[in-house]
Amino acid sequence: MGEFTIFHTVAWPSTYAYYFFVIGISAALFFISGLSWFREEFKSLRTSSFYISFALLVVGGLLLISDLSQPMRFIYTLNPFYWNFTSPLTWGSILLVLFGAASVAYFLAMQKNDAALARKLAVVGSLLALGLPIYTGFDLAVHQHRAVWNTPLIPVLFVALSLISGAAVASFLAKGEARLLASLRQFMLVASAATAVMLLSLLVTTANGGSASELTFMFMTSGLLGAVFIGLGVVLGTAAPLVVLLVPFGKQSSGILLASVLLLVGGMALRYSILMGPQIVHTYF
Amino acid sequence: MSELRVSSIETRGVPGKKRYAMVIDLRRCIGCDACMVACKAEFDVPIGVFRTWVPYKVVGKYPNVRKMFLPRLCNHCDDPPCVRACPVGATYKVEDGGFVLQRYERCIGCKACMAACPYNARFMLPKHRTYTDITRVVDKCTFCHHRVTQGLVPACVQTCVGRSRIFGDLSDPASEVSYLVSTLPTQVLRPEEGTKPHVFYIGADRNRTEYGRDVYNAPEVLEADRAAFNRNHTI
Repeated sequence: MGEFTIFHTVAWPSTYAYYFFVIGISAALFFISGLSWFREEFKSLRTSSFYISFALLVVGGLLLISDLSQPMRFIYTLNPFYWNFTSPLTWGSILLVLFGAASVAYFLAMQKNDAALARKLAVVGSLLALGLPIYTGFDLAVHQHRAVWNTPLIPVLFVALSLISGAAVASFLAKGEARLLASLRQFMLVASAATAVMLLSLLVTTANGGSASELTFMFMTSGLLGAVFIGLGVVLGTAAPLVVLLVPFGKQSSGILLASVLLLVGGMALRYSILMGPQIVHTYF
Repeated sequence: MSELRVSSIETRGVPGKKRYAMVIDLRRCIGCDACMVACKAEFDVPIGVFRTWVPYKVVGKYPNVRKMFLPRLCNHCDDPPCVRACPVGATYKVEDGGFVLQRYERCIGCKACMAACPYNARFMLPKHRTYTDITRVVDKCTFCHHRVTQGLVPACVQTCVGRSRIFGDLSDPASEVSYLVSTLPTQVLRPEEGTKPHVFYIGADRNRTEYGRDVYNAPEVLEADRAAFNRNHTI
């Protein structure tokens, strides 16, 4: 034998990618629900998007807890004496609790028909919701030794992906309302154009980086992971829906729904490949 | 002049603080794996995971070939990314000594420290162990903290037949590790990450130390083993 080594597992399995996906949708749907207090066309989404947002928040929390090897110790993340503010996971656990509390308060305000309070809570909740994709981005970005993760783009990219996925889900709840669909189309168009620019930037800088970047680029653009990242994430999930949304067909309800499906597939594929690519490289060290 | 300290957790040049380090002289390593065995025995390290391991690669061209070993373990970094990453403070650095340790009773198993470690030095303990009831938390090398605080050297150092592993206090100018680090060319793993490792190598081969070189031309049989490992190991 010319070589011997021990093997290493990836630290964060695909559960985290699912978590990033559902929590991104949850945050964006809360924002859309909150927006309904300020923009008339979103009014029909006020309750439906909130309910789905809250359900996905619960699902996201359960996903995180189920991935812990000591699930019952999740409560430690809420113990102020244990908090470690250099860890984005600590910011995340605090944000999730605050966002959950804001969601409950917002729900109660809506139930009481207290519009003034609901508007205020919509703003507060939306700001907390914005923190969710940002903190998940920092979860990855703070790892100094991981190519792709350790870039300032990741938190911003996750915000854009969150808005895309949320708007895509909301377009299914819109029930064909033309004005609402037009606004959601605008969201998806702007956010997926920003995502396309960020992905291009990420690809170019990764391809021209050091040895870790070079290898990560190799893994993320070839083989099965390449098919997921480039095929599903970039081509089918970002470029194709952008084209669909830009052509006249994309202004029709069916065009927007088609783009939504593609964007949801792309959003999941991008999150998965960005999570796994740099980890696979590292198992070789 | 004191050394530049970037992070407040670093203890380089701090008066009165011990800074334990290991020098691994690869010219003396014969690849007997006694260090791995001693570590396994000392800590009841389960099958399939390692606190220290000794990978090797055959380098050169026949007839001038040799096995290059590179014993690996936690680098007990002066600025450890795992300590920063842990959301509940289950991983911490002992200020006097520089040991990076784990509070098993506090670890929630989020694996953030595993993701943060540039050296793959951390692993998840399995659900079942024969003699020890610490399970399903992250574990790692402790630099044998329990032995060192009693004036002994780590088990791997104690057992090293070639005296390849040398352990001591870098802050003590009279220690052997200080002498070796100050007089011989040494390497650390992934210095570009700014972790300031406390494991120094003498005579390391770049085929083993450089990040990612193993990916190129990985032996087919090793890749088959890796695929089997990945199929059977979920954490």
